[in-house]
Amino acid sequence: MKNAIEVKNFTKQYGQFTAVKNISFNVAEGSIFAFLGPNGAGKSTTINTLVTIFDKTSGTLLIDGKDTTTQKDAVRAAIGVVFQDSTLDTKMTVDENLKMHCCFYAVPKNEVAERIDFALGIVDLQKWRNAIVSSLSGGMKRRVEIARGLLHKPKVLFLDEPTTGLDPQTRAHIWDYIVKLQRDENMTIFLTTHYMDEAEISHMAAIIDNGEIVAMDTPFNLKKKYTKDKAYINTSNSTELECFLQKHNFVYKNKGTHYSIEVDNISTLLDLLSDQKRFIGELEVKKGTLNDVFIAITGKDIRQADMGNKEDKV
Amino acid sequence: MRVIVSLWVRNLKTFARNRVQLIFTLIAPFFFMYIFSSIFSLQSDNPMSYMLAGIIIVNAFGTALALSSSTITDIVSGFMKEVLVSPVKRSHIAVGQLLAAATIAVAQSVPVMILGWFLGLRYTNVFTPLFALVAIIAIGFVFGGLGLFLASVVKNAQTYQVVGMVVQMPMMFLCGAYVPLAILPAALQKIAYFNPLTYTIAFFRAVILEKMGLPKGEMVAEGIAFEIGGFTITPLISMFIVIAFGALFLTLSAIVFTRVDFSRINRTKLNDADIFS
Ligand SMILES: Nc1ncnc2c1ncn2[C@@H]1O[C@H](COP(=O)(O)OP(=O)(O)OP(=O)(O)O)[C@@H](O)[C@H]1O
Ligand SMILES: [Mg+2]
Repeated sequence: MKNAIEVKNFTKQYGQFTAVKNISFNVAEGSIFAFLGPNGAGKSTTINTLVTIFDKTSGTLLIDGKDTTTQKDAVRAAIGVVFQDSTLDTKMTVDENLKMHCCFYAVPKNEVAERIDFALGIVDLQKWRNAIVSSLSGGMKRRVEIARGLLHKPKVLFLDEPTTGLDPQTRAHIWDYIVKLQRDENMTIFLTTHYMDEAEISHMAAIIDNGEIVAMDTPFNLKKKYTKDKAYINTSNSTELECFLQKHNFVYKNKGTHYSIEVDNISTLLDLLSDQKRFIGELEVKKGTLNDVFIAITGKDIRQADMGNKEDKV
Repeated sequence: MRVIVSLWVRNLKTFARNRVQLIFTLIAPFFFMYIFSSIFSLQSDNPMSYMLAGIIIVNAFGTALALSSSTITDIVSGFMKEVLVSPVKRSHIAVGQLLAAATIAVAQSVPVMILGWFLGLRYTNVFTPLFALVAIIAIGFVFGGLGLFLASVVKNAQTYQVVGMVVQMPMMFLCGAYVPLAILPAALQKIAYFNPLTYTIAFFRAVILEKMGLPKGEMVAEGIAFEIGGFTITPLISMFIVIAFGALFLTLSAIVFTRVDFSRINRTKLNDADIFS
């Protein structure tokens, strides 16, 4: 399959500081690629360079076969971007912002009104069409930004933490539509997010930490490789349960009577437990998630990393 | 074309939505008119036209420079990222900006010219007001280009205000609009000859006063032509000098504008000290 994005030995320095260190990856045409990593890992730096806004320090970056340094115009015509920071024209109305975007991307005039209606529908903002952007709430501004990104249908769509600050309903709505775009229009989607559940829709996920890609595979394989399924048991008889767990060589942790047990194969555990029902109060089984993968690889929970960062800023 | 028109309209809307700025811009010429009228009544046989030419040009110049600060607002607010990541040509973005500057310059000047008519200003040639308008549009372009160049070099709103003042003040005072060049000390006169506004005003006065066809000696006496090293710069030559300056400003701004590296701007936003990056 053809690659929509090819990155080879890409390095980006800010002065003396190296934000991205010699990374390489490809994104297949028509696929969803999730780029995950803690704050400051270099995700936005990579996106900004891919979309021709930043200059690279070294390496080769191709989008749809075109070089992002020497063929900027061709690259720009092929992409759409939702940046992490707001890029709205705040003194203009929502409608004016969207119309301007259609104009920049030469959307045929007779389709403009229809597309704007549709995009506003996805983010549920029809009522706010004539509001000045600066009068909207933070989440609403973000929604306008996303609606704008969906107006023209680029070959490759970059989404840098598109859903930060949005309510769960809107988020679900937006991702549904993005998956549909990928499927119906064969659009390539490059996304970053701190909500690991959102990355589950990707065909390929790369984890970047300190400017280096530390893992890259399908979410399924990543989970298989880096996580174990877990069983959570609340017991009425700790001694007997521990005795049983030790006998079968299970790895476990406990807080009081709550045990979490790592298992390779859920059904083996269930079979074994079926004779031991008397000391099992509650049983819950959880599959490994991308969040677990993330913690296993980067050594920190992304939400904690997030919180730390927010405290720094205050 | 569609992009240029949209950006032009957008820039005008942004301008008009800032009510204070809008009102001040439209009133400013009349304020200057009041001040100028007392200065020029002393030194010309045609004070009205003299005054109007000065006001119109100085305003068009100030407005064009001020309008370019909206480019900085766009860079800092992030909107410029949306524009620059799109396939829109850089030159179209600049033209949209310059058209807006020219439009506002015209919008400021027309009321002044109408008021001038009520105050007794008369043209013998019907084409004079039209020609004056064309000249004002061109001036909006030339100094819009200068503003755009400064804006894309500075990229920071506070710094731009300072740089704007530093550039604007000497240009306004050393151009013959307020103070006739003839009464300036020789050193300042030399500086004034490097000032594009000097030629703009000379040329524009010749148009408005309908004195393009005067003999050289009289033009020099009227202050619309200069003797530099034995060479007489007539208003027509002044026009070409202004066009040359315009081409220079536009080229410079186009070069700087295309090279704006956004990986540096985020920082300038936080760090005012680090202005010229
Ligand atoms: N304009 C800049 N100048 C200097 N350093 C920068 C600049 N932008 C980013 N950096 C640094 O580069 C590193 C990577 O930043 P980047 O914005 O790419 O992180 P990120 O992965 O997008 O993080 P987040 O999840 O917080 O958005 C950080 O250490 C940051 O401080
Ligand atoms: Mg980021």
